[in-house]
Amino acid sequence: MGPLAIETIGLTRHFAGRAAVDDLTLTIPAGKVFGFLGPNGAGKTTTVRMLTALIAPLGGTACVAGYRLGENDEALRRAVGILTETPGLYDRLSARQNLTFFAQLYDLDSRKAAMQTERYLRTLELWGRRDDPVGGFSRGMRQKLAIARALLHEPEVVFLDEPTVGLDPEASKIVRDFVRELRAEGRTIFLTTHNLADADELCDLIGIFQGRLLHLDTPAGLRAELFGEGTRITLAGDAAPWVPTTEALSFVRSAAATGDLLTVALDAPDDQNPTLVAALVATGAPVRYVTPQEHTLEEVYLQLLGNARETRQLVGAGR
Amino acid sequence: MRRVWVILQKEWLELRQDRLILIGTFGPAIMLTLLPLLGMWAVRHAPDSPPQDDSTLAAANPALLGLTGREFGQAILGQQLSVLFFLLPLIIPSVIAAYSVVGEKAGRTLEPLLATPLRTWQLLLGKTLAALLPAVAVTWTLGGIFVLGVRSIAISPRVTDAIVSPGWVIILTLCTPLLALVTIALMVAISARVNDPRTAQQVSGVLVLPIVTVVAGQVSGRLVLNPPAALGITAILALLAALALWAATRLFGREVVLTRWR
Repeated sequence: MGPLAIETIGLTRHFAGRAAVDDLTLTIPAGKVFGFLGPNGAGKTTTVRMLTALIAPLGGTACVAGYRLGENDEALRRAVGILTETPGLYDRLSARQNLTFFAQLYDLDSRKAAMQTERYLRTLELWGRRDDPVGGFSRGMRQKLAIARALLHEPEVVFLDEPTVGLDPEASKIVRDFVRELRAEGRTIFLTTHNLADADELCDLIGIFQGRLLHLDTPAGLRAELFGEGTRITLAGDAAPWVPTTEALSFVRSAAATGDLLTVALDAPDDQNPTLVAALVATGAPVRYVTPQEHTLEEVYLQLLGNARETRQLVGAGR
Repeated sequence: MRRVWVILQKEWLELRQDRLILIGTFGPAIMLTLLPLLGMWAVRHAPDSPPQDDSTLAAANPALLGLTGREFGQAILGQQLSVLFFLLPLIIPSVIAAYSVVGEKAGRTLEPLLATPLRTWQLLLGKTLAALLPAVAVTWTLGGIFVLGVRSIAISPRVTDAIVSPGWVIILTLCTPLLALVTIALMVAISARVNDPRTAQQVSGVLVLPIVTVVAGQVSGRLVLNPPAALGITAILALLAALALWAATRLFGREVVLTRWR
């Protein structure tokens, strides 16, 4: 593993006796896109606020972009960029004035501030509206401007809270492509989102969080861990008669039939599929299609949250 | 201090671009300057009457002794209305600070702002100066215009002396920044609970009460703004301003703003 962009050990924060973030231990390597998923009120914003030195943890410690929380928070804030939940822009100021103001707060000199402002306004296709008051901007334009603001000072670690929320498909694509560009530049992205398709598409690592970190893995790892891997075989007719044949193969973990669909759980579908299909065809199975068994990140997410809820209920009942 | 200057410039840029705030800020200031001058001008052109013999007022306020009827009219009108001048350091910063602090909260711009390397004292100082400097500059400038107006409209130098008294000058010069500071600190405190700049302004209206008390004291003859009284008021205000600023600093911490402001 390369250098770490974010490392937290037992990070904890309570509000009025209730744990918003409980014992969060997490490592995110530099240059990765990390998806931080969880339901509303799970403590995601509190986590982001702690990691950007906006609020202090009550327990544990964290190191972000090489700076330990509480030691040099000003330098830490200079090393990170944040897109907050709401864009938070000055409506009476123009797009350029908004960005220039923030660039100056990040200590960019006026030449560099102007250069960076132009760069990001052009990248996010807002240059044509640079002198218009932001109050007249659409939600998508405001969101893009807020993303530009988070990047003006070229931070190593970027926190994006719901970057595509409320955007039309075209604007969402611009933002997604932009996140990919940022990753290509070697930046670390901490992405908080409810859009699981975005998370699936963009993230190298996913953390599922609800007060505590429930799971941390790659999207593929999460799927494999939860549902295993497998193959779906569509037959020309009822699939049930072929279940015993399939289960007789030593490498098959399980097989199930639903109508004309035979679902087979395997450990290594890439290697085992040819033997499986050959065996079925040899016994006369009318194979029409063979497709990998895929679970969406949404299925994974809901399953994990459901498991966590059940565990809590069991623990509660046991008390 | 560079970041304080950046905040200050942004505040004034926003202020310049909102005509309603400009009118709300400077309109009343001009009205309060012209009102006593117009009253005095009207008295100057009224028919004269015999010298006044108001022993209660004269006992408390010797500057009114021996004035003719019209002189007395101008002096008493000028004295009473000149106290309204002290509303300016309340009105001007309350409008500016309402939009600058509560507006920032309502527009959800505080979090991105606090996420920059900016220190909270720099933010608070920038915002305080953005409201304080115009309040002081406008009050002193209009105060100067008022003095010139009184001089040219007053029937006699005795009227000018009665209105532009040393006590009034002390309060205008020393209490203006202090009143403005108390107002700004109050606006910060109100910001913790209120989400609308107009509501914040309405709540800050309580600050007018002490000024109304001073006016009532003057009218009834119980309070005369002589230098000792003016210095006493200044000292009380200085103490209040220090306390209010201390409280505002505590309320404007990064953590407090993000977790406790509602």
